[in-house]
Amino acid sequence: MALKTEEMVLNMGPQHPSTHGVLRLELELEGELVLNVRPHLGYLHRCFEKHCEAMTYPQVIPYVDRLDYLAAMSNELTYAITCEKLMNIQVPERVEYIRVIMVELQRIASHLVALGTFGLDIGAFTPFLYCFIDREKILSLFELTCGARMLYNYIWIGGLSHDLHPDFIRLAKEFVQYFKPHVAELNNLLSYNKIFIERTANVGVLPLEAAINYNITGPSLRGSGIKWDLRKNDPYSIYDKFDFDIPVGKGTFGQVGDCWDRYFVRVVEMEQSLRIIEQALEQIPEGDVTSALPKRVKPPEGTVYARTENPKGELGFFIVSNGSLNPYRVKVKPPSFVNLTVLGELCKGCFISDVIAILGSIDIVMGEVDR
Amino acid sequence: MIKQYFLNTWSGIWTVLVGMKITFKHLFTPSVTIQYPDVKVELPERSRNRLYVNMDDCIGCDQCARACPVSCIEIETVKSVPGDEVGKTSNGKKKALWVTKFNIDFAKCCCCQLCVFPCPTECIKMTSIYEFSEFERDNLLYNFATLTPAEVDEKKDSYAKLEAEKAAQKAAAAAEPKPVAAPAPEKPKEESSNN
Ligand code: SF4
Ligand code: SF4
Repeated sequence: MALKTEEMVLNMGPQHPSTHGVLRLELELEGELVLNVRPHLGYLHRCFEKHCEAMTYPQVIPYVDRLDYLAAMSNELTYAITCEKLMNIQVPERVEYIRVIMVELQRIASHLVALGTFGLDIGAFTPFLYCFIDREKILSLFELTCGARMLYNYIWIGGLSHDLHPDFIRLAKEFVQYFKPHVAELNNLLSYNKIFIERTANVGVLPLEAAINYNITGPSLRGSGIKWDLRKNDPYSIYDKFDFDIPVGKGTFGQVGDCWDRYFVRVVEMEQSLRIIEQALEQIPEGDVTSALPKRVKPPEGTVYARTENPKGELGFFIVSNGSLNPYRVKVKPPSFVNLTVLGELCKGCFISDVIAILGSIDIVMGEVDR
Repeated sequence: MIKQYFLNTWSGIWTVLVGMKITFKHLFTPSVTIQYPDVKVELPERSRNRLYVNMDDCIGCDQCARACPVSCIEIETVKSVPGDEVGKTSNGKKKALWVTKFNIDFAKCCCCQLCVFPCPTECIKMTSIYEFSEFERDNLLYNFATLTPAEVDEKKDSYAKLEAEKAAQKAAAAAEPKPVAAPAPEKPKEESSNN
C-alpha cells in the first residue's frame, strides 16, 4: 500500500537569512521536492519612481544609490549617463577614466559580496569573511575619494563631486597587486572545493534559450554560455579603449548554465575588472573633473533611455523630461528584478536546499527588486 | 562505480585540506578587526558624517535647504531693519538677514552632502563626528540658530514695525493727490499709437 502524500505549502522568508533581504518565497512541496516557487515582493518598496518626480535631477542621485546598494557607483553612472544623453553633455576625459575605475572597483566589491554570501548560503562561512576583508579595502578607497562607504553621491550629472584624492592612484595600484593572488585563493578555498562543486554543479541549470526568453542579463546570462556584455556589445563611457575578455559559463563540472557556472563567471569577471582598472590607472589623464557640471540641471523636453552593464546585469533608466527642473517620469529597468523572474523555472523539481543555492547564484538585491 | 566513489571521497578530502591550508595561513596574518569603541578608526579627511554650520558666516540664503533631497534643513529669516548691524561673513559679504531659525533634523539627514556644495560662504560642512546616537528621536533635531527666542521676537517686531511704517507711508502717498502721476495715462496712448 502506498503512503498517502499531500502537497505542502511552505513560506520561506521574509525574515530568512538566505533570502538576501526581505524576499518571501512560497514553496509548493512534495516531501523534499519543490513543485513550484512563487516569489512575493514589495517588502522593501520605497516608491522610488514616483518619488523622483518630486525631486530635482541632482537630488535623485542619493536615491539612485539606494537601488542596488551594493553597487551604488554603478547605479550613479547609469543615471548620470542617461541625464547626460538627454542634455547632450560631453564629460572630460579624466572624468570618464575615474568613472570607469570606480565602477570596476564597485563591480569587484559587488561580486565579492555575491560570492561570499553564495558560499555562506551553502554552508561555507570562511570565504564570506575573506571576501569581506577585501571588499573593505575597496570601500576604504571610496571613502578616501568621496567620504562615504556605501552610498556615495559621487558621480554627478556632467562630472564628479570630488577629484581623486592625491593618494588614490598609489593606493589603487597597491590594491590591484594585493587582490590578484586573492582571487586564486578564493578559487582554491571555494570554487574547486569538492563539496561546493557537488552542491552547485548540475543544480539549477538555466538553458540559454530560457535565459534569453526571460531577458536574464549580467553574469547569470553569461553563465548560460553567451557572450553578451554591454561594455563590449554596446560600449558606453570609454570601455572601447580597454582590453578585457568576457567570461562565459563552460559547464566545467556539470552542464552549461548551472549554479557553478554562474558563480565562476563572477570570479573571472573580477580578474577582468582588475585588468581594466590597471589599464585605466596607467592611462588616466590630468584635467578638471568639475568643468562640465551644469550650473542648473534643466534638460530640454524629451525622452531618453540609457543602459549600462552593472554587476548584477543590465540597468537602464528611462527618463521623460518636460523641460522643468524635475523629471516628469523616471522608470528603472532593474536587473535583479528581471533575473528573479526565472527563479520559479529554475527551481521546479529540485530539492529545498537547492532553492537556496539557486537564489544565491542569481545574486539579487532586494533594494533593487522592490525599489 | 566503486572507483568513482573513492575518487570522489578522495577529492573531497583533498580539496578540503587545500582550503584548510589557506585558513591556516590566515591564522598568522594580522587581525583586520579593531576593538571599537576602545580603538577607533581614523577617518579620511573627506569623511561625511554629522553636519556643522558656522552661523557667523551663514547669510541665510536658503540654498542648502533647497538642495536637500529629504528637506531636513529648516531655515527662517527676518530682514534686518536699517541701522541694525547683522555683521559680515569671514569672506567679507555683508549680511542682510537675521537667521531666526536654522534646524537640521539628523534623524532624516542621509549625509549626501548635496547641501554643502551650493553654500556661497562655505559655512555648512561635514565633520567627522559620527557618534551622536540618541534614545529620543527629538534630540536629533539640532538647532544652529544663535539668536535667543527673545531676540527673535525683537527682530520680528522691529521688521513688522518697519513694514507697517512703509505700508502707512504708501497708504499716505496713495491718499495724496499726485501731481507727478498725472502724465501716466498718456503712456498707454502712446503705446497704442505705436501699434
Ligand atoms: S547631507 Fe544631504 S540629507 Fe543631510 S542635510 Fe545635507 S542635503 Fe540634506
Ligand atoms: S547655503 Fe550656507 S549661507 Fe546659505 S543658508 Fe545655507 S548655510 Fe547659510
